[in-house]
This record gives sequence, C-alpha cells and structure tokens, in this order.
Amino acid sequence: MTTNRPLLLKLLFLAVSLTPTLTLLTWDGAWVWPLFGEFELLFQLEPLAAFFLLLLALGAPLVALPMARGTPDVPTYALFVLLLLGMQVLLLAGDFIGLFIGWEIMTWSSYLLLIRSTRATLEGAQTYILFNLASAFLLLAGLLVFYSATGDFQIAALTEASTAQRWAVFVLLGLAFLVKVGVLPLHRWIPLGYDQAPDLFSAVLAGLISKMGVYGLLLLPTLFPDALAGLAGRWLNGPTAGYGLAWIGAITAIVATFKAISQQDIKRLLAYSSIAQLGYVLTALGVGSSLAVGGAILQTLVHTLVKLLLFITFAGIILQTGQRRFNDLGHLIDRMPVAFFAVLIGIIGLAGMPPLPGFAAKYLVFVGLIDARWLLLLAAMMLSSTAAFIYCYRLIYGPFLGHANSPEARDATEAPMSYLIPQIVLMGLLVLLGIFPGWAIEIIVDPVLTALNLAPIGAPSWGELATPYGGYDGVILMTVFGSAFVIVTALFWLARGQLRRAGSPYDLSFAGEVPTADMPLHYGAGMGRELRRIPLIGWILAHTTTGIQAGLTRQTLATAGLLGGLYRRDPQTWILLAVLVLASVPTLLLLNGGNS
Amino acid sequence: MEFSASPIWFIALPMLAAFSSPLWVRWRVLDQLLLGIPLGLLLLALGLFATVQQAPLIETIVIAPPLGIHLHLDSAALLLVALFCFAVTLVAAFLWHGATETHLRGRQPFVLILLLLAGGNGLVLTGDLFNLYVFLEIAGISAYVLTAVRDDRPALAAGLKYLIIGSVAGVFFLLAVVLIYLQTGQLNMAAVAQAFAEIPPAMQGLIAVLALIGLGIKSELFPFNFWVPDVYRGSDPAITALFSGLLVKAFLFVLVHLAVLIWIDPEIARIWLMTLGALTLMVAELAALRQDEMRRMLAYSSLGQIGLILLAFGFLHESTAAGAFFHLISHTLAKLLLFLVAALLLRRVLSLHLDALTGAGRVYPLTVGLFVVGALCILGLPPLSGFMSKLWILQGFAAAQTFWPIALILVAALIEAGYYFRWIRVLYAPAAASAVTDSKTSKTAPESWATYAPLLLLVGLMLLLGIAPFVIEGALVDAARALLDRDLLIQSVLGVAAQ
Amino acid sequence: MLHILLDSLAMIALCYVMGFLFRGFYRQFNARLQRRWGPSIWQNFYDNLKFLLKSETLIHGPMFFFGPIIIAAGAITTVLFIPFLKDSIWLQGVSAHGNLILIIYLLVVGPLGNALAVGSSGNPFGVMGVTRGLTRLMGLEVPFFLGLALVMLQHETASVQAIMAAQDSIAHWNLITNPLAFAVILLPFIASQNGSPFDVVGAPVEVYAGPRVEFGGRLLGVLMTQNMMMTVAKLVLMVDLFLGGASNIFELIAKAFALFLLTTAISATFPRLKTEQTVDFFWTVPLGVAVLGVILNVWLI
Repeated sequence: MTTNRPLLLKLLFLAVSLTPTLTLLTWDGAWVWPLFGEFELLFQLEPLAAFFLLLLALGAPLVALPMARGTPDVPTYALFVLLLLGMQVLLLAGDFIGLFIGWEIMTWSSYLLLIRSTRATLEGAQTYILFNLASAFLLLAGLLVFYSATGDFQIAALTEASTAQRWAVFVLLGLAFLVKVGVLPLHRWIPLGYDQAPDLFSAVLAGLISKMGVYGLLLLPTLFPDALAGLAGRWLNGPTAGYGLAWIGAITAIVATFKAISQQDIKRLLAYSSIAQLGYVLTALGVGSSLAVGGAILQTLVHTLVKLLLFITFAGIILQTGQRRFNDLGHLIDRMPVAFFAVLIGIIGLAGMPPLPGFAAKYLVFVGLIDARWLLLLAAMMLSSTAAFIYCYRLIYGPFLGHANSPEARDATEAPMSYLIPQIVLMGLLVLLGIFPGWAIEIIVDPVLTALNLAPIGAPSWGELATPYGGYDGVILMTVFGSAFVIVTALFWLARGQLRRAGSPYDLSFAGEVPTADMPLHYGAGMGRELRRIPLIGWILAHTTTGIQAGLTRQTLATAGLLGGLYRRDPQTWILLAVLVLASVPTLLLLNGGNS
Repeated sequence: MEFSASPIWFIALPMLAAFSSPLWVRWRVLDQLLLGIPLGLLLLALGLFATVQQAPLIETIVIAPPLGIHLHLDSAALLLVALFCFAVTLVAAFLWHGATETHLRGRQPFVLILLLLAGGNGLVLTGDLFNLYVFLEIAGISAYVLTAVRDDRPALAAGLKYLIIGSVAGVFFLLAVVLIYLQTGQLNMAAVAQAFAEIPPAMQGLIAVLALIGLGIKSELFPFNFWVPDVYRGSDPAITALFSGLLVKAFLFVLVHLAVLIWIDPEIARIWLMTLGALTLMVAELAALRQDEMRRMLAYSSLGQIGLILLAFGFLHESTAAGAFFHLISHTLAKLLLFLVAALLLRRVLSLHLDALTGAGRVYPLTVGLFVVGALCILGLPPLSGFMSKLWILQGFAAAQTFWPIALILVAALIEAGYYFRWIRVLYAPAAASAVTDSKTSKTAPESWATYAPLLLLVGLMLLLGIAPFVIEGALVDAARALLDRDLLIQSVLGVAAQ
Repeated sequence: MLHILLDSLAMIALCYVMGFLFRGFYRQFNARLQRRWGPSIWQNFYDNLKFLLKSETLIHGPMFFFGPIIIAAGAITTVLFIPFLKDSIWLQGVSAHGNLILIIYLLVVGPLGNALAVGSSGNPFGVMGVTRGLTRLMGLEVPFFLGLALVMLQHETASVQAIMAAQDSIAHWNLITNPLAFAVILLPFIASQNGSPFDVVGAPVEVYAGPRVEFGGRLLGVLMTQNMMMTVAKLVLMVDLFLGGASNIFELIAKAFALFLLTTAISATFPRLKTEQTVDFFWTVPLGVAVLGVILNVWLI
C-alpha cells in the first residue's frame, strides 16, 4: 500500500490536470455564487474564454506529464492544481470580480511555484511578484472605476460613461494586461521569471499564464465596442486608440527580438522571444479588424503550442545535461534526435515560416495591416519577424549543431518518455494546423470572432486559408514541398556515387589548418554579437530599464529607512511628540478663528 | 430582561474568573477555564446576534449619578465582543496544547489574559466616559504586565516602555474626560453627545485633541505609534497576537465611536480620521520594508492595517464602514495566525531574524506554509477573507466616487507585498541556513496536530469568509449602521432624538 | 493532374535553362567589363553537371545531407508558386493556391535550410557566413516587403496572378504607376540575389569561403542548381509584379533579361559593403524611400 502512494498521487495529479478539458467539454449554462450586497460571481463559458480554456486544456496535461516524473513533489502538485483552478475561474468569470479572483490566485500560486526553483534569486522573485501584483492592482483600480461608472461589475460594454471614465478604464485595464503580456518597458519580470522558474514551469508561464494577458486585452473590444474606435475615432483605416497599442506592440517586438538575439541563456532567449511574439499579437489587436484579430488569435494559439514545445524540450535537455547556456551545449543532434526535431518544428513555428501555422497567423496579421493601410507598422513587424530568424537559428545551432562544448553535452542521452510524449503531441498538432489552416480558422478562430462582433473569416476548405486579399492552400503547399523533397532525395540516391561521413568532427576546411579539440569551434556564444555594430541595434542593446527599476527600489528603501528611523527612539521622544502635537493643534485652531 | 442576555456577562465573567484564580489553581482547571470562559462568551455573543438586531441591549447599574455603569450592546459592539472572545479562545487553545514556556502557563497569564478580555469587552460595551477610562486602564495594565510576563531583559524593557507611554495616553484621555465633565456635567456618552455642541469651540477643539492623542497612542495611529514595534518585538508572540487582534481593535473602535458620537460635523471628523488613517497606512508600510525581524515586521504590518481600517471607518459611510468591520475581522484572523506561527517558529529557532530563518520553509513546511497563508490574507489576495474585506472597502469608495483612498490602499498593498514576499522568498530560499537546522530542532519533538488545530481553524475561517462573505454580511451591515447612526444611538439611550 | 505535372516540369526546366544561361552571361559580361575574355556562356552548365556527377561526397551528419535537399525542395516549391505567364494555362504551377506573401516567405526557406546544414558541418566560418546572411536578410526584407506592400495596397490583393492581370498595358505597368515601389525594391532585390555590392555573405576574402565552405561533390551541385533556379524565379516574380508579366515565353525571357541586365549593371558598378553597412544602408536609403512612398500613397491620397 505504501509503495503505491506515490503512484496514486501522480495519477491523481494527472487526473486533476485534465480538469480544464473537462470544464471545456461539459460546462454549460451559468452558475451564480453570491458574495455580499448585490454582488455575485457569475460563471459561464463564453466563446472567447472557451478559446483560452482550450489552450489550457491542451497545455495543462502536457506539462503535467513530465512534472509527474520522479518522486512526487506534493507542494508543487498542489500549487499547480491551484494555478489551474485560478485560471479556470478567471476564464469562466462573467464578471470582473471573478476575473480578478482568478487572476490573483493565478498570480500568487505561480509565484509560489516559481520560488520552488533552486535558481530563483531574491531579485527575480521580487520582480516577478511585484510586477504581477502591480498588474493585478491596476486591474482592480480599473474595474473599480468601471464599477463607479456603471454600478455593476458585469463584463459588458461601457456605453454610458463619461470620456474621462472611459479613458481611465482603458488605460488602467490596458496597463494591467500589458504588464502581463510583458510589453516594454514593463517586461523585466519576464526574462527574470522565465529564466529562474523551474524548467517545466517556464512552459506554463510562457505558454499559458502570459495568454491570460491576451485574454484580458481581447476583453477590451468587448468593453469598448467597434474595436476601440469609439474611444478616440479612427486613423487611416483603423481605430486611433488601437494605433497606439499597435505601435507599442511593434516596438516591443523589435526591441525584444534584438534582446533575444543577444542572450547567452536559452531560457532567457525564449523569454524575450515570448515578449516579441506577444508584441505581434498586440499589434494585431490594435488593428481590430476581423483579419487582424483572427491573426492574433491564431498567433496566440501557435505561440502557446510553440512555447510549450520549446520549453518542455529544453527542460528535457537541461535535465539531461544540466547546461542551459548556448556555449555549454552543442552537437546534440546525434544524441537527442527527437529534441532536435521538436526544436526544429518549434523554431519554424516561431519564425512564422510556411508551412507551419505561424505563417498563417502572420499572413492574417500582415493582410490586416495592409487592409488598415498601416504600412509603417507592417515594416516594423517585418523587421522583428525577420530578425527573429537569427535567434531561431541560435536556438537550433547552439544546442544541436556545431561542436559539443561540455562533457555533459558529449554524453547526453534522449530525455525520458514523459518529456518526449508532449513533444511529439505538440509537433503533431503544429504540423496538422499548418496543413489545415482553414480548419483552424473555421473551428477555432471564427467562433471567437463572432463573439467579438467581428465578421468571421471563413474557409472554403480545411486546407485553405482565404482572405479578401487572396490566400493559400496548406495541403497543396505541403504536398508540393513534400514531393519535391522526396523526389530530390530519391534522385540523389538513385544517381551514381557514394556518400562518406567525415572521419572526425575536426575534419574541416579550416583555412588550411587542421583544427584541434581545444580550438573554440562552437560559434554558439558569439553568434549575433556582430549585430551590435549596426547603429540602431547597438543603441537598443546598450539601453535597459534595469537602472530605472533599481533606482526606484533604492529610493523606496531609502524612504523606508528614513521612516523606520522614527520608530527607534526612546519613550521620552514619543511623549514629547504627543505633547507637541497637543500644543500645536489648538494653537493652529485658535489662529484659524477657533470656529471648528 | 433575561438572565443570559445581559451584556454585563462579557465583562463580569472574565473578571470574576480572574479574581478567583487561586481556586482554579487548586482545582487544576486553569487551562480549561482559559479556554472555556471566552468560548462560552463567544457562544453567548453568537446567540445574541438575532436579539441585538432588533434593538440594542442596554444595562445600567447606577452607583451614584452621574456615576454608574452603563453598558450598551448594539450590533457593532456585539461584533467586536464576539471577535475578541474568539481571539482569546483561540490563543487559549494554542497555549493549552502547545505552550512549553513556563511563563505562559499558570496563574499569572491566566489572570492577565482574562482581564485583557474584560477590558477589551468593556471598552466597546461601555456607554459612559468614565467607565471607558477605567476599562482603558484595566486593559492597559494587563497589557503592560503581559508584555513583561516573560521576565527577561527585552520583555521587561518593552513592558516598561509600554507602561510609560500607556500611562501618558491614559492621562491625556483622562484630561479629556475631566474637561468634558466640567463643561457639560455629563459622563453618559449619549448625553455628552447632545450637550457637546454647546461647549465653546476652542474647548471642543482642545477636548478633541486630548482625546485623539490619548486614543491615538492606544490605537497605534501614526504620529503616536513609535512604541509599537518595540513592544511587539519584546513580548511573547502569542501575547502580541492578542494585542494586535484584540486590544488595538478595541481602542480603534472607541476612537471612531467617540468621533461619530460627539462630533456634530462629520466633515471635520472625516478629514481628521482619514488623514490619520492614510498617514498611518503609508508610513507603517514603508517603514516595514526594511524590517529584518519577523515580529517587528508584523508589528509594522499591523500598524498599516490599522491605518487602512481607520481610513475606511473615517469615511463615515455605511459601505466602507461595513468593509472596515470586515477587514477588522480578517485582519484579526490573519494576525492571530501570523503571530502564532511566529510563536511556533520561536520554539524551534533561536531568533526570528530574517537571516536566521533562511530556508526555514524547507525544514518546517507546514508552519511556514501557514505563514504564507496568513501573509496572503493580509495582502488581500483571494480566495482569503482579506481580499473580500478590501474589496468591500474599495467598492464603497468607488461607489462614492472617491478615488484617492483607492489609489492609496492599492499602493500600500503593493509596498506590503514587497516585504511579505521578500519574507516568503527568504523562508523558501534554496539553502537552509545553519541556524535553522542546528538550533533547537534536535531537542524539540515534532508538534502534535493539536498545536496546529487552532491555526488550521483560522485558515478555514479565512477561506470561508473569503469564499462566502455573505455569511456575516448581515452582522457587518448592522454593525456599520449601528456605529454610524448617531441619532439612533442617542435615541436608544435617552429616548429622544438628537437635535 | 498530368497537366500540373507536365507544367511543373516545364517550369523547373525553363528555370534551370534560363538560370545557367543568365549566370553564364553574367560571368562573361563581368569579364568583358574587366577586359578579360571570361568563360563560355555554357560554363555554369558544365560546372553544375560536373558537380552532380561526382562519385564521392563528404558529409558531416544527416542534417548536413538534408540541408541542401531542403533548399532544393524549397526552391522547387517557390518556382511552382510563381506564375510565369498571364492569360495562359501553361507555366502556372500551383500559383493559384498561393500568394505574394507566401512566396516571400518561401524565398527564405533556402537560406534557413542552408543555415541548418552549415551549422551541422561544425565549421565556425560557415556559421559566421550564415549569421551574416541572416543579418543581411533582416536588413533587406524590411524595405523589400514594404515595397511589395505598396504594390499589394495598390491592387488590394496579395495574389500575384491578380496583380499581373491588372497590368494590361504598358501604361498600367506598376513600374509606371508605382515607380517608388520599384525604386524601393530594386536594391533589396539585388541583395536577395546575393549580388554585388551586397555579396559579403559568401565573399571569399572576408570569411574563409562563406556558408558553403564545407560542401562539395553532388551536394554542392544541388546547391548550385537551386541557386540558378532561384535567380530566375525572383526575376520572374519581379517581371510579374512590375513589368506587367508576360504572355509568352519569349516576352518573359526578354523582360527578365532586361531586368537582369539592369541589376548586373548596378552590381558591376559598386564596391562591396560590409554586413553592418549593408543593413544600415537598407534601413536608411531604401527604407527612407519606402516611408516616403507610404506617406505619398497612404496618407496623402
């Protein structure tokens, strides 16, 4: 019996991780829970929330599976369950109080999970929780303003409020959600948090928790109908308020991409790439047309799958090698082929290359931007998405190609099955969505668009992505590419001649010399360094917000020290103070005429 | 009036029990009584809610007019009395099963804790200014001695400081009472309330300032609360739990009660109370940021919450006042939990200093886990009761379109998060400091479940009130109404409406 | 089905033939400018055949082998998604199922597949070349795509066929109606063809032999084949977009050759830029012109 207890615990944990799926499949109708006064919590499953619940339903079991490996860690399991509970409350909530409750449960349980990592520093943990709580309190402030305008906490259009109130709600809620998606310069918690969190939990942070910020941002069009256009009119072919948001997203994407390129740590790179990817989402949401929002939703889905895949894969690599920096790994392709393919698929998705669905999402966003005639934003998006190729290449080159740069990397073996299964599932999902973009549009994106009062995009067939600007067929694309690949390979094999594998990794064309083992042949660490010579990139990489945060912390602590000093005196001082107050107040009152 | 329904029991029973303690020592029932008496009173209080909702219970024992004992049990007072009885019950339960320290066992703490309860109950029940002073001194003196009960250097120093500053506060308050009596010839609060308007304005101001300073010192408001961290640090955590959970709340209630009752112009009272509350909140939260000793940190946090409660009360608005009552309850729950956790930790480690506790969470998972729950409740994070009470306060402000307190409360909460999460992070730091593992652990047997039972009960209550706040909604709204409705109070005592 | 197969084969063959002839012409043209005789116009064909028929090929692991194959498959896919002729059922490939943005991304498949193979070889100089290539790509894509976006905005479609169909007479050529877009695109286009002055990526003097340093034998042959095909594919795309497309093969060859002559002339005139100079140049001059174009096209009209 005692020997079975860990197994039972794990099974229980895995079962609980399936609850989002269960909720998604079975929840119907509304459930009301009274609080106090006229306030009550309303739980119902809206199509928008259902989409995010779908992400949760996909992600939770896939992360739970590798988490359940090894000796059961009961606190981690319990906190993970709480986290899932919080996120489900958040998504099911039909009113802002429920949303906030879920939001906060998610925040603190994720924090407690984060500090279970042995790598979490005080700075990282504090940054994580303070940014997230600041976000939560901004949300609370926003919803209190909302309440003061409407007398109600129900999530509904804010129609009868004054302009000042509308802007206050927009700015407060917007800021709250922007902190969560990690928009610059409010992003500092993301690289620290994603880097220091337990490796598997980073997948949850990047794949699922950050998406709740996107959910919040998608609520804004619900509050301000007509895609924010009611707030401040229109600019060119889109809403003016959205234009601001879109630029915030684009600049975030650009800066974060360059920051990602310059990282030496895999998880930090992935963190910055998350910021950049969600920057695209923000840009698309700013456009607010059905094409762009459809792209944003698809991008959210793809980013979730990709980041789950990449973080789980790299968690496996870190588990097997103990190394997490680019120059400490290398040449794992022979030893960890599944991980190699996972990362390959992951970076193709991340870079938005055809035929994976990342391209479909980008295509929609690009077309949306052209449709809105916001071409400068298009250029900005293009800049960050091509620059993303460089960090994508680092992700695959650093760990998998080149030369093994540490003893661990030299004798690593493939990660355990519990890591491989999620990788394979996620790879399969990505490829499927890539072949059938029309299916993704029809089944996943269109219901959300309809719920947001936008025209559905529709798809003539499962394989086809169609827009007024033309489209493409995923099945044909995949068929053509696949056949070409097979035919070229076949021709190559059929032709006369033989292939010979190089005798040693040092058998290279090396400027006439023969390299030896002690030569630094792995280019992983230095890659992208030369980018600093480009003036714009050099300027971006030379500036950080660390100083501002540190300065703020220092000032607060100095104030705290000053005030704390008041509390260390002797009783005489306290009494003197009381008497002084006694003497001064009536004097003041008398001076004022004593008519109080 | 039925025998069981008299408010006098809330004061008389603990006092009687305290004064006949030699008997209980002989019969060896000290622990049982320390638990049983407040528990009985708690049940009595719970039973009275329905009655009091109809009309306040009034008990007058005339000694020599205008002197006499006048007790006034309305919804607000009942809520607090129930809370105080609960707090003492809980601490008693904790001491009975857990306390190994000799100074917390036996006659002395028995007498003092019960006197503290009697004093606290008296403070909120009394309808007479002189009685108020008497109860203030009863509660005060028992608190001074309780502070010093451990009988070592820091405890004695803290007790002495407490004694000095407490006496000064008493003097200030007494002066105010004397002045009122000289000016109006009345000591009954309702009568004073009616007559106060006729006093010359300058004298009104002087009386108000005297009372404010006296009660301000006692209820730990900003410019008068410099003694608090020292006292909280010096006394035993289980006792501090009572100070933070019971005593301050009683004084705070008295302050707000008097302000509402006596001050005719609510605008001025509002400005004074809210300013004091806001100042206390911000200063205390900021000062707490750099505290490296758990009890001092909790003391500052307690000050901050008191400021928040006063801010909400001071708005003199039914909705925020109900929220303030709620917050008062959830703060008591959380601070009881936190101080009792500190007491538990102190049994195993030598110091509650931040450095000494590094990594304690990995050695004592349950204890530190409870600390986390308490901290989350104080921070107002759902699903704990602290969230609901803060939400109630905040929505009250929002409904009244007053936004500066909301901003202030949220900023303060963020600062508070800054230090609580710093503690949590250090408690769960990867490497356990040698102080944690080496110190007393080897000597101390693991705590039994009975020790944790009161703490778990607190957690359960926090969860209950956080998820289902409607269970006490009626009591809170009634209490807020009773506190703020000046006319009703005067009418119920004197039978006439105020002018 | 058979039609598509034949059509595809025809497109690939046409691309290949045009590719080695154009490249051969380029070599001779350059040589004459430099007062040399230069190789025969068929030289590229001979070289390519020689590589493809090598008996032995050295590889550095499976990815090193599959990289060139991916590039070749990518090149073929790209070619098939570009319509070569308008108003014709021939030389269309599967272009009805694609669009301009897809083609732009397919053009990138080649460099990325190459990057994988080079990384797999373990030669740091090769990887250095790849990084330079990706950096240049980052520089050139921004103005390139913005110029294309101006065209897409003008015609309100991303379909190459539709854009081609809209240019029914020389007055409606996008070269005439949207000259700014053409001006923006021209230099990034040269860079994407790996033409001078933006050819630092494979430059033997700066980086020891560049990204292709490790390839030899039949793999190098495959790379060369796809390179020639891609050269033509990009030219045809530009013809489709700016020169009104072509109704028959001869028109197509003539237009493509004219464009090729223009780019060759530019390439032969200017000295090579460093990587960071390239990027900085693209982000100032062509991008500046593109922003001007955006302001004129979008904000003022």
